[in-house]
Amino acid sequence: MVLQPFEDFSDVEDLAAGLADNDPAVRRVAVMELADTAAPEAIEYIGSALRDESAEVRLQAAIALGEFDGPEAAAALGLGLQDGDQRVAQAAADSLAELKDPQAATQILPLTRHDSAFVRAGALRGLKELRSPNALTCGLKALGDPEPGVRVQAIGVVGYLKPDEALPALIGCCRDISAEVRRTAVGALAFSASPHVADALVGALRDEDWAVRETAAEVLGRSGFRKAADPLMALLDDSYWQVRLKAVRSLGQLKAVKAVHVIAAALDHQIGNLRKEAAAALGEIADSAALVYLEKLVDDPDPEVRKNVRWALSRIAG
Amino acid sequence: MPLANTATSVPVVVDEDKCIADKGCTVCVDVCPLDVLRISDLTGKAYMKYDECWYCMPCEADCPTGAVTVNIPYLLK
Amino acid sequence: MDDIRSGLSEVECDVLIIGGGTAGPMAAYKARKKNPDATVILLEKANVKRSGAISMGMDGLNNAVIPGHSTPEQYTKEITIANDGICDQAAVYKYAQNCYGIIQELDQFGIRFQKDENGEYDVKKVHHMGAYVLPMPNGETVKKALYRQLRRMRVLISNRFMATRLLTGKSGRAAGAIAVNTRSGEFLVIKAKAVIMCMGAAGRLGLPTSGYLFGTYENAANSGEGYAMAYHAGAKLANLECFQINPLIKDYNGPACAYVAGPFGGYTANSQNERFIECDYWSGQMMQEFYNELTSGKGPVYLKLNHLHEDTANHIEQILHTVERPTRGRFHDGRGTRYARDMIEMHISEIGFCSGHSASGVYVDEFARTTIPGLYAAGDMASVPHNYMLGAFTNGAVAGEDAIDFAAQVDFEDYDGEAIAAEQERVLAPTRREDGIPPNQIEYKIRRLVNDYLQPPKVTKKYEICQSRLAEVREDMQNAMIARDAHELMRATEVASILDCADMAAFASLFRQESRWGLYHWRVDHPERNEEQWKCHVLLSKQDGAMACEKHPIQPYIIPIADDEKDAYYNQRIQAQA
Repeated sequence: MVLQPFEDFSDVEDLAAGLADNDPAVRRVAVMELADTAAPEAIEYIGSALRDESAEVRLQAAIALGEFDGPEAAAALGLGLQDGDQRVAQAAADSLAELKDPQAATQILPLTRHDSAFVRAGALRGLKELRSPNALTCGLKALGDPEPGVRVQAIGVVGYLKPDEALPALIGCCRDISAEVRRTAVGALAFSASPHVADALVGALRDEDWAVRETAAEVLGRSGFRKAADPLMALLDDSYWQVRLKAVRSLGQLKAVKAVHVIAAALDHQIGNLRKEAAAALGEIADSAALVYLEKLVDDPDPEVRKNVRWALSRIAG
Repeated sequence: MPLANTATSVPVVVDEDKCIADKGCTVCVDVCPLDVLRISDLTGKAYMKYDECWYCMPCEADCPTGAVTVNIPYLLK
Repeated sequence: MDDIRSGLSEVECDVLIIGGGTAGPMAAYKARKKNPDATVILLEKANVKRSGAISMGMDGLNNAVIPGHSTPEQYTKEITIANDGICDQAAVYKYAQNCYGIIQELDQFGIRFQKDENGEYDVKKVHHMGAYVLPMPNGETVKKALYRQLRRMRVLISNRFMATRLLTGKSGRAAGAIAVNTRSGEFLVIKAKAVIMCMGAAGRLGLPTSGYLFGTYENAANSGEGYAMAYHAGAKLANLECFQINPLIKDYNGPACAYVAGPFGGYTANSQNERFIECDYWSGQMMQEFYNELTSGKGPVYLKLNHLHEDTANHIEQILHTVERPTRGRFHDGRGTRYARDMIEMHISEIGFCSGHSASGVYVDEFARTTIPGLYAAGDMASVPHNYMLGAFTNGAVAGEDAIDFAAQVDFEDYDGEAIAAEQERVLAPTRREDGIPPNQIEYKIRRLVNDYLQPPKVTKKYEICQSRLAEVREDMQNAMIARDAHELMRATEVASILDCADMAAFASLFRQESRWGLYHWRVDHPERNEEQWKCHVLLSKQDGAMACEKHPIQPYIIPIADDEKDAYYNQRIQAQA
């Protein structure tokens, strides 16, 4: 026997012959072997396996198509997304989200109008990473979808494209009934410096959901909205420390001198994370009014706090 | 020095009803970084032949039928 | 399968890459991409689909230098300081300049990095100075994506072949390698114009506290062949005394992933719920602090997430239990521990060689060239310090592109045919015996000795005892080890590499008569850092058949480090006065 040292580049047609076997397990193995070839010619065969009578074979095909890219793979996955078996449909949705080729968008767009919310959400999820300008209209329309899961994905599509014309709709989503939609919309507004965005984000600081408040506090600082200082200061009363932490960080980023005394109050908090962030923010602001507070913390038991206190003191001195 | 047969419990378990190794599947055997799985001549199903497991899980994650389970080796469980 | 067959085949290629984990696939991809007419072979002991340190992916990058978040200059400075000044900056700086391009390329391969709602990389600030952490929420697909690219690029992939020795020509140039099939014992000789070694860490050097030989921090397949083969070929290896020791989840022995938990507010705490790590960047000094806390009255050490909102803790748990070491969730289920409720006991790992986390590796320059012409090294086994997964990708790319150009300029180098026969005899010797000592017992003994004598704190006399005990084990290995099938033969061959690495660890540690890199090279009888005598590399190599060490100057810094920055790590330890 002659040693065969290399993986072969088997003929796709030979492997595809296994798809005609009577035994579904053999057909399944054939799908896996076709996927391993990574050859574009295999897409057609694997796509045909999405019409197999066995759900197991269809499932394998939906997974396998995640290894490929382009309009042909997208078209096949669109079929898988509508499969009656939920496992197949879910696998197809996951594989759709792996696509990179913007040309795949054409195949997916019609599915954003499908009757099934699952299909609409899966299609939008797939479109997000493609960043195709053609997807904007569909994305905007889907912001008004009756299903929250679809709206979240639609925000993804629109948020990645970052068009100013989408701002009113995205701002509208900050008042959605679903907290996850609101949180995603707040995050997606980070690209804009519009005063309307600032108002919407400030409004979100009073959201009933802590994760929405946390995201809004973070985005306000990152975007540098100076007029957010007062509402961020008010947020330092928040019932949840992780929210207060983001507010403190943002006040530091905004260099809000008037916030020094309220930030200093956080230096007493029992959780080191918040003390550390407060010290860092006081360093960012670098106002001498903070000296008296910071000096009390030079011997804090938490080394991260001590490090940031020292840094803050040097900033104020320098 | 002669060798003994000392028993050891192995962490990787294969559900033979689900395993399709007898249909030509070799996924778990292929992906194991330590090469500890084999297909039994007797049953045609996969099994753990060598107790040298990094409990890393490709065998379980890549098995198309969910037949493989990776447990934590007893010594470190 | 596994029966030993005799056989010897020979193949030729322009560039041979040994090791299909992280650096290797990238080297192969880049070499073929740059010269599509060239033949490129990727040799792998396991299977490229799921081999190496990232067989189940990676949960994030912790040294991403992305414009707007950190600069190459800042990163180079950070690594120079973290590595106690022992750093040829050219390679680190080049990495820092190239790595963003590699991230974008990996993204195109389908490897997902965390993005914010506007599709921008969601870089997290964990360190004091720059922001380098980029999470990879779907990081479990890394290997699949790489494999796909290799297939498309038509790289010749050779799985289940374990390289055992490099071949060098009369002029000393790299000529190829000899490998043995791990399922049949058949040999394969690969003639190559250039060879790139990407063979990972020496992860089976120390013994995990569980006593389970394969329960290592590193992928247990990474048994240090790269280090041993480079040594026997005459290449120089740098700073092997700078061991790798990592924080981990006790008994499970997998990473605790403070870099994943950090951005969410999780941290490493002592039993009094307090942070204690004062170092900023990952370093030997940080590990020293970890060790001190472990052995103090405030020990042991924990991963603390239970102060976070339950949703946050559960979210972190979900990430950690899906990627890199996904059986972690199963381990915690068995113990009944939940991150949202309990602190998770941590410990330190067994010792190893790994530049990915520390600095011990085959000595390379900024083109990934070793001291042997035509021989390259990249990833965990090459000497570029602290380069982690992204460094393996980036430096693998550098190696692939340089090697393919080198190969275009040279012809095959003739090697000594007798070397092939001698190597076959060396490898097959354990199969020629009727009975004897199986590889697992020899391995256990070596690694137990490593723990007893070589694990820091390093004591000179203990090191000398270890050297003589290891010499006894070497006699047993050479004269009495038995392998009954091809699989055991693979283990037997690995044992020889493990023993070579243990010998190198001892020899290099004894040579550097100072303490440096915190816990990594803590010599109790030379407790001080000695800048005057030892601010240099230590290069180990084979001279006239025996181990030798030499001092080697550090390249002049490209990025100057101010005097007050040099000791940033020492100065950061702002002790509480109370």
